[in-house]
Amino acid sequence: MIEYVVRRVLYGLLVIALVTVFVFLTLRLIPGDVVRLQLADAPGVTQEQLDARAAALGLDQPLITQLFKFLGDAFTGDFGISFQSQQPVTSIIAERLPITLQLGLMALVISIALGIPLGLLAAYKQNSWLDQSLRVVSVAGLSIPNFWLGLLLVTYLAIWFSWSPPLVYRSPGEDLVSNLTQMALPALALGVSGMAAIARMLRSSLLEVMRSNFVRTVRAKGAPERTVLFTHAVRNSLVPVFSLIGVQVGGILGGTVILESIFAIPGMGSMIFQAVQMRDYPVVLGAVVVFGAVFVTVNLVVDLLYGVIDPRIRYA
Amino acid sequence: MSEVDAGPATVVAPPAVRARAGRRGLGRLLRTQPLGAVAAVVIVLFVAAAALAPFIAPFDPTAQHRDAFLAVPGSPYLMGTDDLGRDIFSRVLYGARTSLLVAVCTLVAGGIIGIVIGVASGYFAGGWVDTLLQRIMDTLMAIPGIVLLLFIAALLGPSIRNTVIALSLLVIPTFNRVSRGEMLRIREELYVESARASGCSTWRILRRHGLPNLLAPILVVASLTFAIIIIAESALSFLGIGTPPPTPSWGAMLSDGSRYMEIAPWMVVFPGGALTLGVLAFNLLGDAMRDFFDPKQSSR
Repeated sequence: MIEYVVRRVLYGLLVIALVTVFVFLTLRLIPGDVVRLQLADAPGVTQEQLDARAAALGLDQPLITQLFKFLGDAFTGDFGISFQSQQPVTSIIAERLPITLQLGLMALVISIALGIPLGLLAAYKQNSWLDQSLRVVSVAGLSIPNFWLGLLLVTYLAIWFSWSPPLVYRSPGEDLVSNLTQMALPALALGVSGMAAIARMLRSSLLEVMRSNFVRTVRAKGAPERTVLFTHAVRNSLVPVFSLIGVQVGGILGGTVILESIFAIPGMGSMIFQAVQMRDYPVVLGAVVVFGAVFVTVNLVVDLLYGVIDPRIRYA
Repeated sequence: MSEVDAGPATVVAPPAVRARAGRRGLGRLLRTQPLGAVAAVVIVLFVAAAALAPFIAPFDPTAQHRDAFLAVPGSPYLMGTDDLGRDIFSRVLYGARTSLLVAVCTLVAGGIIGIVIGVASGYFAGGWVDTLLQRIMDTLMAIPGIVLLLFIAALLGPSIRNTVIALSLLVIPTFNRVSRGEMLRIREELYVESARASGCSTWRILRRHGLPNLLAPILVVASLTFAIIIIAESALSFLGIGTPPPTPSWGAMLSDGSRYMEIAPWMVVFPGGALTLGVLAFNLLGDAMRDFFDPKQSSR
């Protein structure tokens, strides 16, 4: 077990390192000189100035040296200085990451809190009109692009109820109500597809469990239907649902890029989008690596918790 | 195809029989999966709208009607006009073109590369080819989709070709995963073993036994991936790094509309509605095909 955990953690670190290498090499291999980009606005730049700048950034070193220096720095949490704001990338990320994590967590909670009851209901009332309409709702929920849903929510809440979410970000410590009001709509838009996916998965996995031998045994010993469902079946049917969470987190993290921009939330998503527009490469690099690291970590945790939820799963 | 799938007899069904059954299966698929049939009709309508856009569209999608800025849906502008006075109905039709063009190119490019990688790794599982390829796939999958797209597309610059390249990187791992997993299963099958015993070359085994048996799962994934590609293309265009203007694309239309949503919600409603309908159709078709090919997994 411990060996398994160690191996998985090491593999997770390897993948994060590979992501870093991939992002670094892609940035370097694509035409466009970082130095010239940085000094592009300054007129009459001499070659000496360019060389000096390149040396200062370590760009005169061979690629492989640069790569290892970058990897080493990245692992100590140093992604360099933002071209745009001249602040260390790490401190910018440290400021914005909690905001995105809060938004992501809210979205995840929404998808679980709505998805599980809906899935249970659909399975419980299998083939009823309720089940049929829930099926339509969940396919629709999976299909509706989260940014369109976000736009519709703001638009129609404004038109019908003359209500708009606050457009100035306040931290939860500063003004909890304003913070949650601003986060609510994007979190809902991000959570809907997860809700749909969870409801669908839970329905089919619960129905499968209900057909299994042990449920027949529980019924045969005369347990009431409620005990069959809640004590025995639901717990077993939640295992595949749990594995969905890793996938959901990827979608939610990606979705923050657009939704944070729409709702003026200063998190990682809107940061990477602005950085990309400004060609602020150190920030882009740091953000992609951090997004990757969060995603890999969540999936690792999900995998490890798998055995806790379902003791039948052996680590090999 | 489902006749041979019904029991353990699957193992001995020669690929040629399965392929023939598969062709006959299309009719059965549409008959037994009503939602799938509806989805297929919607998809056909979409393709028709895209192909015939120049004939159906009442206006030039880039023409600016100076007498009708932000016109309310009605006559003659069926879905209203945008802030530059362009007819939204015509733009939605032409947007379907962009969307389908990008999605088909991505599906072909990304699908073929992903399947080749998956089949090669699956057949030689455990070898260094497998290890190397799978580490690359793990790397691509470790970055959340839109972030990867944003990164690649932004570096390459906005163009339809670059959008296809970025989207292909997104879908390659999906096709790799499915075809590798199936290949791992297929290579243990009796018919592969007998083919090997009778002296078939690796290439022949992959071509005659591997690919035909991959077809069903690949079709399902292709349909579901198509839906993802359409959303992702719109997301990129929404962010301004996908299809460059003035080519109409649903994502860019949504982005324009987001600035006027309170006074002209139709700018957001129609392109988004078309997008959602398209995605819904491909999701439903994928579901129907999965239920059809694999009745055991069916939730019905």
